[in-house]
Amino acid sequence: MSVSGDPLLDVQDLSVAIGTREGEIRPVSKVSFSIARGEAVGLVGESGSGKTLTGLSLLGLFPPGSAVLSGQIRFDGQDLLALDPTALRKIRGHRIAMIFQEPQSALNPVLTIGTQIRELFRSHTDLPPSRVAELLLERLRSSGLPDPERVARSYPHQLSGGMRQRVMIAMAIALDPLVVIADEPTTALDPTVALQILDLLAAIRESRTKGLLFISHDLSDVRRVSDRVLVMYAGRIVEESPSPKFFGTGPVHPYSRALLSSRPSGAGGTRRDSPLPAIPGQVPPLWDLPAGCAFAPRCPRADDRCRTSEPPWIREGNSQALCFYPDTTPLGVSVHVA
Amino acid sequence: MSPESPLLLEARGLVREFDLPGKRLFGPRQVLTAVSDVSFSIAKGEILGLVGESGSGKTTLGRLVMRLLDPTRGKVFFDGTDLTALSGRGLRRHRRRFQMVFQDPYASLNPRMRVGEIVEEPLIIHDLVPDKTSRRERVSGLLERVGLSRHDLERFPREFSGGGRQRVGIARAIACAPDLLVADEPIASLDLSIGAQIINLFSSLNEKEGMSVLFISHDLSVVRYISDRVAVLYRGRVVEVGPTREVLDDPVHPYTRLLMGRDAPMDAGETSDGQDRSFELCPFLARCPEARPACRERMPERFEEHESGRQVFCHLVMEGSTWKTSAPSPSRQGIA
Repeated sequence: MSVSGDPLLDVQDLSVAIGTREGEIRPVSKVSFSIARGEAVGLVGESGSGKTLTGLSLLGLFPPGSAVLSGQIRFDGQDLLALDPTALRKIRGHRIAMIFQEPQSALNPVLTIGTQIRELFRSHTDLPPSRVAELLLERLRSSGLPDPERVARSYPHQLSGGMRQRVMIAMAIALDPLVVIADEPTTALDPTVALQILDLLAAIRESRTKGLLFISHDLSDVRRVSDRVLVMYAGRIVEESPSPKFFGTGPVHPYSRALLSSRPSGAGGTRRDSPLPAIPGQVPPLWDLPAGCAFAPRCPRADDRCRTSEPPWIREGNSQALCFYPDTTPLGVSVHVA
Repeated sequence: MSPESPLLLEARGLVREFDLPGKRLFGPRQVLTAVSDVSFSIAKGEILGLVGESGSGKTTLGRLVMRLLDPTRGKVFFDGTDLTALSGRGLRRHRRRFQMVFQDPYASLNPRMRVGEIVEEPLIIHDLVPDKTSRRERVSGLLERVGLSRHDLERFPREFSGGGRQRVGIARAIACAPDLLVADEPIASLDLSIGAQIINLFSSLNEKEGMSVLFISHDLSVVRYISDRVAVLYRGRVVEVGPTREVLDDPVHPYTRLLMGRDAPMDAGETSDGQDRSFELCPFLARCPEARPACRERMPERFEEHESGRQVFCHLVMEGSTWKTSAPSPSRQGIA
């Protein structure tokens, strides 16, 4: 997808610290990225890599006990981190909206869907009730809900998981936000329903005015939705690549490459052919990060330099990796993710 | 796996109903049929993948095979013995030979027991290694087998990550050298990079120790990688079963085709829980884009292809309109 003009949202050098029993950790560290109009950006990482917190910080939501150490989030000519709570509340849900992982816990169980969406309009706009009623049905319909009148009258428990997630999408796009953040929106859904939701999300950016940040640990979902892929490891973004390249000739950071090949491919071999190339060891705890590159202890390319000094950003074609030794050899035949 | 291998497990016509809370105190009994007339088999040394959406009855089926649940109707034969006819001591004696790895490694390990005790327990229960010192040795060996070390013996489950706990669960399951492992979504709660390690562990247990595995998962690419054969479950019924490559690369049943993304996902169609499954029609009828008049009249009978042993439960197959076994599957050519 071609992208033009200034970025819609621009994050620069964001670091967030949280005090824990084990000491101060930085679940988000020196994170920089941008989202352009009409662009869907995929943010991939394993649990604990900091991807959800990165998403929440775009809404100015930080967990208790955390502090923003540095950074800027430029949106619509202002720095979100410098705004007071009232100004931030006007943006949150209105200009920047989020779709959460579990719709059952993000929806109010004792209010009908219609009431919950009308509440959004009431707190952010001055539209007359008749217009709100129209918009309500229109949003539900464009989220792929076939019988919007019935859904509006329903309580969350009367809907299936897939329908609830569609309601979440309807709520997120209700006020026509510029940026939509979707955090693992398909985790709780069945595969055939998940595909419908992914296509719905991908359509959000097709207006070319909106941007989408799609957070997921599932590479095949990211492939389906995103134009560009960001990979997070232990609180840092370690790679940025266009999707066609990431899933074509392959990413360049050794971690991204290992992540991509440790998943059985849709058309590849079976256990009778070869063992899966698993990444040895596990993600280091954030309070005990190694010196140098956090991935070095698990990395096949690491040497002493990686274990002692922090790697720089290196550009390889249209990819960037936080690595001394990015790997540019094409990943064999084009990698299929089912 | 040659189809002639002796059978280890055979399920025949399994049905499991659950009572639902009735609408009124003396009203009619409400029943949910979670598993409906399911038959399948697992050969010695074979890995059978069981796929289906949530609520399709995968976990219930796994628990029936383990005899953690009693079937409402139907039988489970394990190495020739009818498990459903056994109870008490007779059943316990056989339990050594089939073990389960649970989905949630956080909930399935006793938080107050040390890892050494957790893995040792089955050996004590089945009185396999009476001598305490050699039993401890055996436990250390098991931990090493799953990629942990003897230093982990004295640690508690909470000191491990999800992948570490799942290894403990596997060590416990393989402690008494079972012939069959039932693994219920064993990597669903694990991170991608850890999941691959666990999948490799299952492969090697199968390869080196000849363990058969019933691998329950909704992740098709994992099932495709690990299974010799695959059974597709939809709303409590098997709709298609056969060699993995054939079923997943060249699906025949309209539901399997949908699952494999061969057909565009249908709008607004999805499994909803609590629906009556005792009907005697195809479970996929309501969503099927290719339903025929015959589908509304009677349950499709089993269609079996003799050469591969693939079975499909669909009227369309009888018409011959979707059975395309003559076409070579594209990916098989690609691998060579």
